[in-house]
Amino acid sequence: MRPVDLPSYSRNLHPGAWWLWAIGLAAAASRTTNPAILLIILGVTGLVVAARRSDAPWANAYAAFLKLALVVIAIRVVLQSLLSSQSQGVEVLFTLPEIPLPDAAAGIKLGGMVTAEAVLRAFYEGLQLATILCCVGAANALASARRLLRSVPGALYELGVATVVALTFAPQLVTDAARVRAAHRLRGRDDRGLRSLARTVMPVLEGALDRSVELAASMDSRGYGRTTDAGRVSRLTTGLLTFGGLFGVCVGMFGLLDGSSPPMLGLPSLLAGVALSSCGIAVGGRRTRRTRYRPDPWALPEWMVSGCGFAAAAAMFATAAVDPAALHLPGPLAVPEVPWIAVGGVLIAALPARLAPSPPSGSLHRAVSSPARSSFEASLAADQRRETA
Amino acid sequence: MSTAHRLIRLRPRSALALAVTSLLGLVAFGWPLFADAGSAVDTSHSADAPWLFVVLLPLLAAVILAELTEGGLDAKAVAVLGMLAAVGAALRPLAPGAAGIDPSFVVIVLGGRIFGRGFGFVLGALTLFASALITGGVGPWMPFQMFGAAWVGFFAGCLPSLRGRWEVWLVAGYGFVASVGYGALLNMWFWPFGAYGPEVSYVAGATLLENGYRYGAFWLTTSLGWDVSRGVLISTLVLLAGHPVMSALRRTARRAAFDVPTEFGVGSSR
Repeated sequence: MRPVDLPSYSRNLHPGAWWLWAIGLAAAASRTTNPAILLIILGVTGLVVAARRSDAPWANAYAAFLKLALVVIAIRVVLQSLLSSQSQGVEVLFTLPEIPLPDAAAGIKLGGMVTAEAVLRAFYEGLQLATILCCVGAANALASARRLLRSVPGALYELGVATVVALTFAPQLVTDAARVRAAHRLRGRDDRGLRSLARTVMPVLEGALDRSVELAASMDSRGYGRTTDAGRVSRLTTGLLTFGGLFGVCVGMFGLLDGSSPPMLGLPSLLAGVALSSCGIAVGGRRTRRTRYRPDPWALPEWMVSGCGFAAAAAMFATAAVDPAALHLPGPLAVPEVPWIAVGGVLIAALPARLAPSPPSGSLHRAVSSPARSSFEASLAADQRRETA
Repeated sequence: MSTAHRLIRLRPRSALALAVTSLLGLVAFGWPLFADAGSAVDTSHSADAPWLFVVLLPLLAAVILAELTEGGLDAKAVAVLGMLAAVGAALRPLAPGAAGIDPSFVVIVLGGRIFGRGFGFVLGALTLFASALITGGVGPWMPFQMFGAAWVGFFAGCLPSLRGRWEVWLVAGYGFVASVGYGALLNMWFWPFGAYGPEVSYVAGATLLENGYRYGAFWLTTSLGWDVSRGVLISTLVLLAGHPVMSALRRTARRAAFDVPTEFGVGSSR
């Protein structure tokens, strides 16, 4: 057993594993409007994020997503109670003053009686979306964007590099702006208000553009952009696969949207198109032969974490097949029941709180203390060395 | 001298791919309006239809971006692309309100205007992608935002070549239209997911006209205020800063000499 296979070996989990886990949980949440299960899923995401998030800046994303989720629920409940009509239930909670609307808005009713059924239904549907949002937020908080970018397919290599440039320099622009403002203060100029903002923006932008030209020169001088010549055959294969795939997707979409088309035209040709396009991207990536510098391993913990997400989704789909009534309340006012298979699957998804290796602490401080720019150039140079070796 | 320094050239092949993926992208936005009653994506008997497009769109984005950069971007294009995306991404968290007012459009519009439509498309997509990574905002909405912003940058590169005082007014007007259009389009992706009220929600199987009317009412009552205020902000920023920023971008284009082909021949070295 390699050390990377042990959950006790402190390292960053492959970001793809966290995304698979989160997608599994989100798929599970999309199958049910039962508030008991949804709340358990919410709790599971919160638990795992609390246990395994790093001290990186994006680790706070979960809180932001949680706030967004609360806003989603609030908007739904408020809109539903403003626009509620008696058709949704009979249990009147309270009555709002009704605003008369002109006839052009036929059927729209603002205010009036608000029923418990309408409010609860809006709350449960909002809770489902909020749970899916929190699953996505958990993946954002746990998976490192920078590491995820290393796994972009070769056909998108240049854009991956451009994104890394953007991620590296965006924080530096904030520093630049602070420096320009300090210079303004030293000259005795006011550093507040719109006028000073305008005086700050242009120097920062000019500096950024100058730096991009310098960066391009430095990349050129390190031999960046050397591509092995793809050749006519490879280009033709890529084009055929890509356009064949796009054609398949077009036909599939038409088949899905048109009610009278034969069923063969829909999903099957869409899937075939997706497969062809993916092959096109894979083949197009072969023109850049690059080895990865210190690739993230996909070891036992990665399998276990993504498997836990899969287990949650599988348990939910199994429940949907066996006992679909348990996943949706018979009426908004019913007491939710707890289907044990589904809940068991969701609880398995909480295991990564222990199974995933804990992220190395203090990695942030090292990353910050070395200047961002030189570390980018160093990794670029290392890439190039590998490439030429 | 041409108005645009084309950093990413649109060859016939990539133009065709762009047209097809844009059409598919539009369908992914607007399918609720076009879906027939009784078709496979009719949400009245399956609630999964909207997710299909959420899954499909990232692949479409990858296909078109790979096709646009198929010849391999040179180092200068990568550096300028990354730097402008960094500026846009750094502007984005400054915005008050999560998704509403978004000053990064200024960078996308002006970048597309100066460096051409292919570059504008890639810049729009990349700016939204990078800012989602920085702020931890990766989610099902991201590919839709990427497509929307990419179109904003693309059409900015298609504006007629006009120089002098009128150029700023042209770009500012475009910025307003593009921001409002972006807002109107972007609501579309989550519209079928929810019930907002009897008269503004998506009704599966209704005719194009009925659902169009419902969507119009939804847009007017929810997001029009945000979209118009964003449009006003963008066009004001372009009017204030458009001239110096465009000169700075043109200067960069000249300094880096994007249009000059590099040739290594027998005569070039002594």
